[in-house]
Amino acid sequence: MVSLDDIKKECKSILEKGKVKYIIGYKKKNNFYLSVPAFIEKVNEIDQLIWDPTCVYNLVRYLRDEKLRKERQKNPDTRPVGVIVKGCDSRSINVLLQEKFIKREDVFIIGVTCEKSGVIDEKKLNKKFEGNCIKKIEFNEDNNYVITLETGTTTVPYKEFLADRCVDCSHNTPLVYDVLMGKKVERSVSEPFKSLGRFESISTEEKWIFWKKELDKCIRCYACRSVCPMCYCDECVVDSINLAVNPDTTAEEKAQKIRWVEKSPVRSENFNYHLIRALHLAGRCTDCGECERVCPVDIPLRYLNKKMEKEANEQFGYIAGIDPEKPALVSCFKDDDPQDFIR
Amino acid sequence: MEEKFEPKIVALLCKWCSSAGSDLAGVSRMKYPPNVVPITVMCSGSISPDYIFSAFKNGADGVLVSGCHPGDCHYIKGNYYARRRLALVKKLLEFIGIEPQRFQMSWVSAAEGAKFTQIIKDFVKELEPLGSQNKLRSNL
Repeated sequence: MVSLDDIKKECKSILEKGKVKYIIGYKKKNNFYLSVPAFIEKVNEIDQLIWDPTCVYNLVRYLRDEKLRKERQKNPDTRPVGVIVKGCDSRSINVLLQEKFIKREDVFIIGVTCEKSGVIDEKKLNKKFEGNCIKKIEFNEDNNYVITLETGTTTVPYKEFLADRCVDCSHNTPLVYDVLMGKKVERSVSEPFKSLGRFESISTEEKWIFWKKELDKCIRCYACRSVCPMCYCDECVVDSINLAVNPDTTAEEKAQKIRWVEKSPVRSENFNYHLIRALHLAGRCTDCGECERVCPVDIPLRYLNKKMEKEANEQFGYIAGIDPEKPALVSCFKDDDPQDFIR
Repeated sequence: MEEKFEPKIVALLCKWCSSAGSDLAGVSRMKYPPNVVPITVMCSGSISPDYIFSAFKNGADGVLVSGCHPGDCHYIKGNYYARRRLALVKKLLEFIGIEPQRFQMSWVSAAEGAKFTQIIKDFVKELEPLGSQNKLRSNL
């Protein structure tokens, strides 16, 4: 178990020394057991910080906002930003470093290990404790969850409510950090792609029926895109914005602007959007599971990303976010890449 | 009389090899099915997956991507990048339930007119039993 006091002490010391501009961490949501991101600038705010199984967010996403903000300022504060990361989040940082989107000196990484367990799946929790108002969730020494309800406390094994992505995860210790909290616990996952197993035995037509049902639900709110720490393009291919339309814009100019994906939430466009999204994340997605968590209509988006992860691993021996010095998946090749599908 | 299904194939051919290969098939008067719409691109490595999804969206029954043989790329390594990227596209299309035969890739050099005709013949033959592609087609 990682001690919250240790995290607070460390954060306090780096804030007092003025090493960082501010620290991005987690705090408790008002009167609710879940957490929300916290931006700690002053030492007296440090008591807001929490560390418990509800710290699901991938805070690396905010480094993009920070970068854009810094670019716009005249005399920016050049100190780094402190960010609290879990194992999966640290891999996201590695990908951003690999793509040279952020510089290593611009970020002070406070790594927190998940040790044996990981974060909760809110949906699993709500299913079990329906009607019972949950007050608080904490880790105990064995990394199991202690849940405080209105009616008393109960201890549940972490396996019961562990988020699916944590079940598949073997990077419980951050790979890149300035300070590390908690013990380095080895965890090996025998079948990292077990969740994809359900697709292996079904036919093409059954796969189509599954995805048709799921993606027809999509309302194109782009929550998956907004929450993704990897989606940082100024202009996204699915909603091009840089054509300034004014009264003088001719119909021809408008027509020549290519729109690969239309905005209407119909089947062909939804498929197009999600296929493009999956491919843009191939070799970059670190399976932080945020897209699936924020989806308001429960589309199992992780399967698409996981499938790409699996192919990258099996065909090209590539794992995202391990080494920021190596080239990215689609910007390198080997002479003996598989080509049995090519005539 | 019932009309026979004629698949529509979009072929993205690289300018330096496959496009020249299809030209050779033409000037040599080799016969191949007229179901294919060739689009010349500068390099197979320049093909964005968007092109392929867009072709399916606009009613293609099959998409063929063809480039130079490995080692022969005019830009030295474009086809290697294409091979890696399009392998992912192929797996992804299969994963969401598109018949794997609908997306194919080939290496055709400028001298392989006969190979090009054979690929198109085989492709058409494989697409005929599948019928028209309505899964990703846009209804807008």
